[in-house]
Amino acid sequence: MPDSSPEPPSTPLSRRGLERLDLLLLSAEALDLNGGEAMVWMSQQMGFSGLFPNRVELWKRRCHNPLRRATRRGRLDPAETDALMRILCALADRLYPLLRALLATNEPEAVRQRRWELFEGRLADLVRERMNPRRVGVQTLLDPQRGARQRRQLIQSLALGAGTGGYERLRASLHDPVV
Amino acid sequence: MKQTLRYDQVSCRLQVEGLPDLSSGQAQDALGIITGWSLSWPGRPELEGRREHLLALMAVVLPYARHLISGVARPFGGGEMPVSIAPRAEGGHSLQLRSSQPDTPSLDLHLDDAELADLVRVLDQLRLDPRLQVKLDLPEPQPLNPREVMERVPLRRRLAAPVGGAVALALAATLGALLPEPAPQRQTSGQRETSGQRETPGAAGATPQPSSRQPSVPPGDGAQPGNP
Repeated sequence: MPDSSPEPPSTPLSRRGLERLDLLLLSAEALDLNGGEAMVWMSQQMGFSGLFPNRVELWKRRCHNPLRRATRRGRLDPAETDALMRILCALADRLYPLLRALLATNEPEAVRQRRWELFEGRLADLVRERMNPRRVGVQTLLDPQRGARQRRQLIQSLALGAGTGGYERLRASLHDPVV
Repeated sequence: MKQTLRYDQVSCRLQVEGLPDLSSGQAQDALGIITGWSLSWPGRPELEGRREHLLALMAVVLPYARHLISGVARPFGGGEMPVSIAPRAEGGHSLQLRSSQPDTPSLDLHLDDAELADLVRVLDQLRLDPRLQVKLDLPEPQPLNPREVMERVPLRRRLAAPVGGAVALALAATLGALLPEPAPQRQTSGQRETSGQRETPGAAGATPQPSSRQPSVPPGDGAQPGNP
């Protein structure tokens, strides 16, 4: 199901953009216990086997996130980052009911809190496992108070970036300038 | 002939009605002329309008969502536009629709993040539906400009680094001013006498020893103290 929406001119993604892209993929993994597998399967289904022939290649691209425990230097090819964004949007589309449930305010507070605890617990486990704990960005994300806004922002970005329409928005957002 | 496009999400349903523009050679199942639309929310009044209102809704909600995905919540619309959307201080979003009918008050809808995401999804579905063959003239999502990105950081946090630097500099300058000035070095008699001589690098920093630099007096010249 590769999609045929017009592709704007490609530019390499900044380190900050790579960091956000990987954190969004990590959030999708936190929402779906089989997120890692789903990512590989989605990549094959969308016709990106040439770019990411196996899970190791996919993992290597994601390791360009500077917050990673074993980070890789250099920039990714725009075709690779665009493919990762398309995979992310397709994952977000599949997970949209969960994303929506996290953002909705019309349910009892206890239910909402339990959902957030589950998501935040899984995200914290994944972050501790894969990210460099000495980085301030990682410490902030793991902090129950200071990181709450960022975690909500990740879920909101996934909800607004879900699907084909969301891809253009998410792509523009990841290319925001670094100030 | 009449076509109806319907898009459903959990909290809203968008229905667009129209006709194919056969004069432009459009297919029978296409929608080239929008005759009306409605957006229904459970428990809230249904929104209806003409083509212009639908385009105004898309022109305001989609850029708002684009900014929100970058963490920038700023109002869109207002003024002459029939639709406006803005973040609410207590959380959520306020969607305001102004009627073109006179004496009709504007409608203010409060949406939470999930309802906004639903609205964005139905508008995306409509925008990308190949059956809709109406020119929408919506701008492509673009990266924000640096100023907008900077403004998403709260003013207090943005000013913390420069103000902290200025305070540190002022403190260092004040402390420097409070330190006593070093007293000028007093010249010794030995230095005064040898001032005409060329100083060697080794002797430059050495403390002069007056006893060793006393000029020798030749014996028997009558200048010995105690001699008449």
